Amino acid sequence: MTSGKALWNSILSENPRALLFLGLCPAIAVSVRVIDALWMSAGVILVLVLSGLAMALLSGESAGAEAVFAPGGAESATARGSLAAGWMRALLITSFLTASFEAGLLALAPTASAALGIYAPLIAVNCLVRGRGMSGFPHSSPGGSMAAALGRGIGFAGSLVLIALVREALGAGTITLFPVGGFGGTIGIPILVEQPVRALGFAGGGLLCLGYLAGAARLISPHAAASSASGRAAE
Amino acid sequence: MSWVAIILTFALVDNVILSRLLGVDAAACAPGGMRAAAGVGGFIAVLMAVSAVGGWAVDSQVLMPLGFTLLRTPVFVFFVAGLAFALRAICVRFLPSVLQATGVSIPEITVNTAALGLVLITTRGEYTALESLVAGLAAGAGYFFVTAMMMAISERLEVEPVPRALKGFPLQLITAGLIAYAFMAFDRAFLARVLGG
Amino acid sequence: MPDARDRAGRAASSLMPAPHIGVRTSAARMTWLVSLCLLPAAGWGVFLFGTPALIVLAFSIGTAVLAELASTLPFGRFTLRDGSALLTGCIVGLLMPADAPAYVPAAASAFAILVVKQSFGGLGRNWMNPAMGGVVFAFLSWSGPMSQWIAPRGGTVQGAVVPPLEALRAALAAPGARGTTPLAVLSNAGFRFSDLDSRVLGWINSHVLAPLGTALPPGAFDVLVGHVAGGIGTVSAPLLLLGAWFLLSRGIIRWHLPVFYVGTFGLLAAIFGGLGTGQGWLAGGPGFHLLSGSLVLGAFFAAPDPVTSPLTNRGRCMIGIVLGVLTFFLRFFGSLGDGVAASIVLGNCAAPLVDRWTFRRRTGHQEGIA
Repeated sequence: MTSGKALWNSILSENPRALLFLGLCPAIAVSVRVIDALWMSAGVILVLVLSGLAMALLSGESAGAEAVFAPGGAESATARGSLAAGWMRALLITSFLTASFEAGLLALAPTASAALGIYAPLIAVNCLVRGRGMSGFPHSSPGGSMAAALGRGIGFAGSLVLIALVREALGAGTITLFPVGGFGGTIGIPILVEQPVRALGFAGGGLLCLGYLAGAARLISPHAAASSASGRAAE
Repeated sequence: MSWVAIILTFALVDNVILSRLLGVDAAACAPGGMRAAAGVGGFIAVLMAVSAVGGWAVDSQVLMPLGFTLLRTPVFVFFVAGLAFALRAICVRFLPSVLQATGVSIPEITVNTAALGLVLITTRGEYTALESLVAGLAAGAGYFFVTAMMMAISERLEVEPVPRALKGFPLQLITAGLIAYAFMAFDRAFLARVLGG
Repeated sequence: MPDARDRAGRAASSLMPAPHIGVRTSAARMTWLVSLCLLPAAGWGVFLFGTPALIVLAFSIGTAVLAELASTLPFGRFTLRDGSALLTGCIVGLLMPADAPAYVPAAASAFAILVVKQSFGGLGRNWMNPAMGGVVFAFLSWSGPMSQWIAPRGGTVQGAVVPPLEALRAALAAPGARGTTPLAVLSNAGFRFSDLDSRVLGWINSHVLAPLGTALPPGAFDVLVGHVAGGIGTVSAPLLLLGAWFLLSRGIIRWHLPVFYVGTFGLLAAIFGGLGTGQGWLAGGPGFHLLSGSLVLGAFFAAPDPVTSPLTNRGRCMIGIVLGVLTFFLRFFGSLGDGVAASIVLGNCAAPLVDRWTFRRRTGHQEGIA
């Protein structure tokens, strides 16, 4: 087994952290402000939960859902056919859900929609979403699936918002939240707002934060380190 | 935008990985070895170029006249996925060495992020067909170049003892972050002066 | 500077070339020697800019040392003896303007040590030059505070204090810039050099050069000697070159990278430098540009760091050319200061690729190695 195959198999084995951090990658672009991270997380949770529900309702007995995501795993034409079918079905669900989220966001919160930009549609192909949406759930019951998906989504949200908090507080000296009543939505942090560490607000800052967060996560629960997404080191 | 501006923007100034943070996962998790990384990078690069043009075609000829712009996401997702599938089939048929070098079939998930992201950028920016193609090629070239850089660096890191917690994926991200900071030297002001001066 | 061959000893040594240079001098001693060679330039900077410069250096070196301690002591290692933390702190401090607020060099040093160096495993394992990475980080974050200059002792204060390079930029950007060389442009734009400069040049021009029919333009002395505003350690090219010459003669750094770097940049600046600003061909003023900004310090002290530069001489020459081209573009067209730190970190990104190109990783077969 080449290292790449081992890597992808480890992801398929539903290692939550691997999926989590892979899924966070496209999202860190919108982690410059806390509020953007919150909206992004909302979208991811929505799509995760509902696609989990849909998969649970639709797949029923189809154990093919588990194998759906083994790249290059199936050799026979029929197996590959059902692989592709399952794959397409999952994509269909996630992409329509994402489109609905986008439409809703555009209608209800156009500034948020503009802030998320091209990264909202990318939820549809987000590793986390697809990994969860497609590999077999231990529970095939809708409730169980939704709960599991919700758990993943909250993990995602927590990480993304944490990164956004660091990046915005240190990188811009503010924390931007939802405007409520008289509160304009932006909290300024006394010293930092004058001379923030602007480099954190740039793309490189996002990558660095995510990298260190991934490292920290490994420190906290090292038992999963062996099978987490560690590239060549996985072999 | 002029051609040079498009090329420089998509390759350097707003590099797909380093500035727009698309396709980071593929670059960071690419299976080991320079040839493998070149394979993955090249595959994604070609995919990006083709998707950009195809995306223009689909968007301008089908979606917009019919007013289905809200359906952009599902349509593009499937379009890019289909293209990836087709490209992979072509590789299997005509360029088996590419797939062999990568050692594993291209991870379809992450492929989609980069190409899909690019399609979204060019369609939202309402680029023309030729502009989309050039943008796609430039973005692909930029992506390939950065992936190669990251792989060369990680090959070097492979033989070094690094902090255990950071080994592998986290360090790839940190590396990417540092490269991203370096590339910030190529910013819009730079572009403007190169073009105008 | 840490020797890259150190890492070979710890890692799969069949992949790396064996140590060849300075067999007598250990890696740590080499690093301390490099710091020593920076001393003249540092002393000059402190002399010119006074206590603020000393404070900046104290913060940059102090933070570097503390960061190194914080990241090694808890793991049972003590690495200060290898001198690399001190060197990183020195270079970071010397690249700072004298009036930078204390947190800027501190943050730059901390970033350099913790992120660029220790995250990758510490000495000899980083792929990006820590000091340069820290400086780039600081410049991206606080470009304003990093442009707070102090007038040199004995220099004239007219309004905002700017180094000649920045003044040249401003002068060229304003309409009505006249002059065929940078110094001429500066004079015509009203930039005033020091009294010492006019006195020395007056003497030289009248007694030495007048019979020969030429004259040095005003400012030549200031710029050459380093009697201008600028980074603490970057203003004095002669003192830096003194240190560099010592390092070269001892074999601690190799000449390939610096020479190709400086040469390429000088050539490009001479031929094309005037184009972007409307002075035409061959009007770039290479002498001025070679002496301005942190080029000399970067080319001789930071870029040739064996840890982050290519392993073969051919590779070093290639990277030197790459750096020259990058610095040319970034200085004449870019917005990140004088382009040197940014070029060096970009060169660090490219060096492993260059290595792949020039260094065959086959056991027993090593071609193109020094």
